[in-house]
Amino acid sequence: MVAIRKSGGVVAFHWQGKLTDPREDAFADALSQRRFRTIENAASEEVSVGWVTPADPTGDSFATEDLDGGAGAWLRFRIDKKSMPMKWLQIHRDAAEKARGKKLSARERRELKDDLMDQLLPRVLPTITLVDALLFHDRRTVLLFATSKTAREAFVKLMFETFTVQLDQGNPLENGLRLDLGEEEDFALERLEPIRWPNAERAQPSASLAAAAASAAEGDA
Amino acid sequence: MNQTNAGAESHGWLGEEFLTWLWFRWETDGGEFTLPGGRIVGVALDDFLTFAAPTDDETEQTLRRGLPTRTAEARTALRQGRRLRKARLLVAEGERQWAATLDGPTLSLGGVKLPEDAEECESDTDRTADRAANWLALHEIVQGLYRLFLKERLRADYKSTGAEAQASWMAR
Repeated sequence: MVAIRKSGGVVAFHWQGKLTDPREDAFADALSQRRFRTIENAASEEVSVGWVTPADPTGDSFATEDLDGGAGAWLRFRIDKKSMPMKWLQIHRDAAEKARGKKLSARERRELKDDLMDQLLPRVLPTITLVDALLFHDRRTVLLFATSKTAREAFVKLMFETFTVQLDQGNPLENGLRLDLGEEEDFALERLEPIRWPNAERAQPSASLAAAAASAAEGDA
Repeated sequence: MNQTNAGAESHGWLGEEFLTWLWFRWETDGGEFTLPGGRIVGVALDDFLTFAAPTDDETEQTLRRGLPTRTAEARTALRQGRRLRKARLLVAEGERQWAATLDGPTLSLGGVKLPEDAEECESDTDRTADRAANWLALHEIVQGLYRLFLKERLRADYKSTGAEAQASWMAR
């Protein structure tokens, strides 16, 4: 097993409610219930998402010690995806149209595609993506080491299916509300409006906020 | 499953204000911050800046390489009242230094570089523990900085104090 990454992108998520402590066996058991299942030989499935561990990318074993990430629990999930090469579809469609001597209808094209998928998908090797996360149970925070929409959505869905917890992605409002600033501050934060910084290129010679506000009011009038 | 980030849509501009405030504080106060718990961190802007488009019809402006904060283009953008949307930050605490690109509207971090592994790390397990601590530290530092910003930003007299000072700096 190699060490966790030391560079890249990261997105923070938070949760409310109860989540099993990763040091308990029940946590690893829950992961194993939603373990990764291979689609290497599948005839129809195009995507498979499930948990593996940093020590075992197959999803066959879930030892609690394999999740040890120092201050956090080191989670890893795997996304396998099979996609039909578009060139293949095009070649087969061209051949069918040539044999017929005319273009295929939309329905015929769809049928041809479905037939080809049935025949060729079992022979296509999936692409494999391994995505890591560090879960800090006492802080109700999990850092996902991927920023793509696909990975974020897959992770949120997998966490919900595994632990029945809804993850909230960090953002300026969510993060602010989690800082325990106080009731009044939270209320103000939710209703805060952006500052309209003055455009000093236009509003010479004074560039104060008051001047900008007055200028905006004149414009509105 | 619906995965819209509602807070990023409604308050994304606040993350942009946060980034612009970091720049302001770096240039006017030297970029040293005392976070809750007494930890002292230094923050500087590095070699990548993106200014948010003022409206949907206008363009974002990205400056990269060298010292973009010193360029005439950057000063012009500030004088026009534009906020930072993304910036490459250097963050230091003690002997540890991180580099990361902070995206204002989502507060996510891209292109992070952690500090070098501690010398006493002898195994992958040691390195994992050390790096996990550094990932968490970076997250907490950004949260701590954001807390400082919000404490100031949410004050009732902010517009006549902090915002006035920042407006003068932006208009220089």
